[in-house]
Amino acid sequence: MIKPAPTEYRFTVPRNLGAVFGRLRTPGPILWILPAALCVTLIFGYSIVDLVQQSFKYRGDWVGFENFSLVLTDPLFRIAIFHNFLLLFTVPILAVMSFICAVLLFETRKGMKFYRSAVFLPYILPIPVIGVVFGQLLQLNGALNSALRAMGFDSLALDWLGDPKQALWTMSGIIIWKEVGFGTILILARLISLPLETLEAARIDGAGFFRLHFQVTLPQLRPVILFYVINEAIVMVSWVFNYVYVMTNGQGGPGNATVVSELYIYRSAFQNKAPELAATSALLLLLATSVFIIGFFRIQRNINKGVFDE
Amino acid sequence: MNKKSTPLELAGVTARQLILILITAMAIVPGYLMITGSLKTQEEFLNSPWSLPMNPNFQGYSAAWNDQFPTWFRNSLLVTVSAVLFTIVMAATAAWGFAHWKWRGRDTVLGLLISLMVVPPVVLLIPLFTLGAKLGWISTFRMLILVYIGLMLPFSIYLLTNFFRAIPVSLIEAAEIDGASDFRTFRSVVLPLSGPPLITLTIVNLLWAWNELLLALVFLQSDEKKSLMVGITGFQSRYSLSIPTIMAGMTIATLPLFITYIFGQRYFITGLTAGSVKGE
Amino acid sequence: MKIRGKAFAVGCAAAVLLTSLSFTGASATVGSKKAFPTKPVTLTMWWWGDQEAPGAKLWVDDTVKAYKKKRPNVTIKTVLQTTDGLVPAFAAAAAAKSGPDLQYFWGGIYAQQPGWDGQIAPVSDYIPAAELKHYINASTELSFKGKIWTAPWYVNPSFPVLARTDVLSKYNLEVPMTWKDLLNVCDVLSAEGVPALAGGVKDGWFGGWLYSIIGGQSVSSSKDVVAAVVGTQKFTDAKHADWWTRLQETQEHKCWNSDINSLELYQAQQLWKDGKAAMTVVAGPDAPNFANSVGASKVVVMAMPKWSNGKFAGKMGSTSQTIGITQWSKNKEVAADFLMFSHEKAQLNNWFKRTGSMPADDRFDLNSVKDPVKKALFQSALPGAPYLENFIPAQLDTDAVFTNVQLVLAGTKTGKAAAADMQAVMERLRKTDRNLVKNFTAWSK
Repeated sequence: MIKPAPTEYRFTVPRNLGAVFGRLRTPGPILWILPAALCVTLIFGYSIVDLVQQSFKYRGDWVGFENFSLVLTDPLFRIAIFHNFLLLFTVPILAVMSFICAVLLFETRKGMKFYRSAVFLPYILPIPVIGVVFGQLLQLNGALNSALRAMGFDSLALDWLGDPKQALWTMSGIIIWKEVGFGTILILARLISLPLETLEAARIDGAGFFRLHFQVTLPQLRPVILFYVINEAIVMVSWVFNYVYVMTNGQGGPGNATVVSELYIYRSAFQNKAPELAATSALLLLLATSVFIIGFFRIQRNINKGVFDE
Repeated sequence: MNKKSTPLELAGVTARQLILILITAMAIVPGYLMITGSLKTQEEFLNSPWSLPMNPNFQGYSAAWNDQFPTWFRNSLLVTVSAVLFTIVMAATAAWGFAHWKWRGRDTVLGLLISLMVVPPVVLLIPLFTLGAKLGWISTFRMLILVYIGLMLPFSIYLLTNFFRAIPVSLIEAAEIDGASDFRTFRSVVLPLSGPPLITLTIVNLLWAWNELLLALVFLQSDEKKSLMVGITGFQSRYSLSIPTIMAGMTIATLPLFITYIFGQRYFITGLTAGSVKGE
Repeated sequence: MKIRGKAFAVGCAAAVLLTSLSFTGASATVGSKKAFPTKPVTLTMWWWGDQEAPGAKLWVDDTVKAYKKKRPNVTIKTVLQTTDGLVPAFAAAAAAKSGPDLQYFWGGIYAQQPGWDGQIAPVSDYIPAAELKHYINASTELSFKGKIWTAPWYVNPSFPVLARTDVLSKYNLEVPMTWKDLLNVCDVLSAEGVPALAGGVKDGWFGGWLYSIIGGQSVSSSKDVVAAVVGTQKFTDAKHADWWTRLQETQEHKCWNSDINSLELYQAQQLWKDGKAAMTVVAGPDAPNFANSVGASKVVVMAMPKWSNGKFAGKMGSTSQTIGITQWSKNKEVAADFLMFSHEKAQLNNWFKRTGSMPADDRFDLNSVKDPVKKALFQSALPGAPYLENFIPAQLDTDAVFTNVQLVLAGTKTGKAAAADMQAVMERLRKTDRNLVKNFTAWSK
């Protein structure tokens, strides 16, 4: 049943496909697309329309832009958005680390399978589990610090999650820990599927390890790395709630050091009972992410070129 | 060439092995602490977190299991499996609709759909919650399943469309010339070729839905409907004075994924390899 | 057999309820005049409390069972919520207008806000005044415009400081009664590497406790706090702001365990139990258990050391934890009947038996309490100080008190800056919650 896809497919195909099937009288794509389209329209379409409505109201009454000015002047909202922005800096780190891990795995014959499973392991763990375990591990008198102290690195035994100055960085470290496995596997998979001849040719030309991978491998991996980068950027903006919620008891503390936009919206709606402010901030977050949508379109085009035209 | 670079190469290989061992250790250590911690007493854990449990103590496990883990498991399984199943079916048919026919506005619709991947789920939280409340669907599985399907569809359609577009036209032409209907072509030509991306998609979606917390937290309110992720979040807060119990709970929560992973590893990785890389 | 006798008593109580309702007439809802339903009824109760009054779960199980005997057609499902989940879960349920029939609320604002938001029906519509007057703190914390929102369940003397004389005397120290003594104890103990006070603020709650027991010493009544909330006073005024400076002093004198920011409240209290700290602060209902676990003779149960000559300095606060009836409940009178059942003598005594803490009912016989620690504690809570945290908006508590306590104790913020931040958050809240000023003003009247 499961056959690997041959690698030589061309992107020029669909145009011909259209030409071929346009002539055959078929009921058309509508029926095929309809169920998914309905579901997506309901979930996204309805929500976004409703969101816009809610953000102009207070307890059912029209209030114009009042909610917007309240949210935009809230220092906490700005802090939350800024934290999401800071988390974006983990994306390049993730890309680089994944690339390195993948190349190392690729070049290693001995025990490659074992290492590969191990590196991918964090990615399959549930985030709440990760949050709980790291929460214990990183306490001031927790396992990590007791190990550091035993080895004599007392000054490195920080209050990882308790010190407002580094809580967010600790959090990003944990996110990196989890997400790097996904990137490694993606890149490794692409590496394996690359034609061996080019690599061998470069090797015979005397290219060393670094030159080989930076000048020969890396360019060919561009599409997959870009895909990963986009994917992770989305994660940092819209999918870090789980970490923060579990590791800070839903507070985003210490202080406001780890409040992110998702937590801000969740708390506005379900703790501070201000659904209209939550709706407004959600709308603003959506607008902010639309920047990504534009970037995404661009990259998407490049990726298609990269994958199918090569 | 071989002779000349041997010592250097050897050093390189050793360095790489060392780095890999280090990376592996980092990946495994939290799991080690979790499992060993679950077998210790509270005191043992606090005093020597790194040691092996000398007298394994299974109290944590019995406490955790006698909590509501069985219910949570069942709920999570139900929600995840049905959401993923529906998503895959709907995404595959829709992707075929996008890949097979060229119609006016197709690329715009597809582009719009794909751009929805970027919408943070939290944005939908409040409107959907209000909707669910109006329908009286809060604390029902169907609500959460519906939301999950909606959220998983954009990426799934995107991935499958790209894959379907790359299927050689000759194969499809052959089927069409034999007089096969659209549906038969889809079933007997397209689907059999699409094993790898379908497996990838199933894996990625299963992981996503199984591990989702925010929406489950909001949509599954009543106690008997809680999902595993919501359950363990509360669990840790309830047993905060007994770390071994927490760790036992976490181990139980991880076990099914871990076992699936160990046995299905080949599919995990070949799936990701053949499918998503080709597809994206 | 006891139960049968009780059943009769409650039958009478129900009759009294019905007559009293017919007297109060218009204000009572029509529905409550109905005879007690005979069809099967299921009530859901979301509660909390086993965390601070261990044994509460046993009492809930006992009481539900006893009630089932009395009212065989009524089934009560109970769900013990988590500390972090109690408020958000109810907020979500309220937004969905479906959820429990009976919901647990902490006192004061935690019971007022749901009332203002129309999420609960006042218990005074369903429980006669003659019965409600026995419920401790009902009129002080829970009334609003002549109605009483929720029914007090148990009393929380808030919050006792527990001092271990064995740890203190090891360093030739006495139990500190004044602030100066306390800081001195901190200095001596921190030089020895022992924290004077054990605490954990990672989950935030302890911040609210500290605000109440330190900040309570400089205000003259709960009305002062409400005045700062509505804007006629300021949180930067000395009487509202000085406690932040005191808090900063505890940080500077290294009073706390160094991992205060990475431990949760209940986790940190274990340090004291293990003898790793000289003092700690615990929930009132739990204080006797703590004291007995290390030997009551070695423990002094007291109020926070005094730093001012305020009216409430050296006094413990008193607040009742409560149960309310939700607006969407279809069986409000059954819910009320269950609440009254839980205030019958047998249940009151059983509460004390199961948890060792004090039921919120003045018909509970204090003379039956033999344990001196408990007795002293209960008496101290009766004419208690206001529990400040219960008189500020919950969001001010989480967004300004919890957060700033974490920062001050982490040493990254001064007390002054914290007070200024609290005032700023309050000013913002008055804008975002458009009904806040109106509601708080009406409440404080």
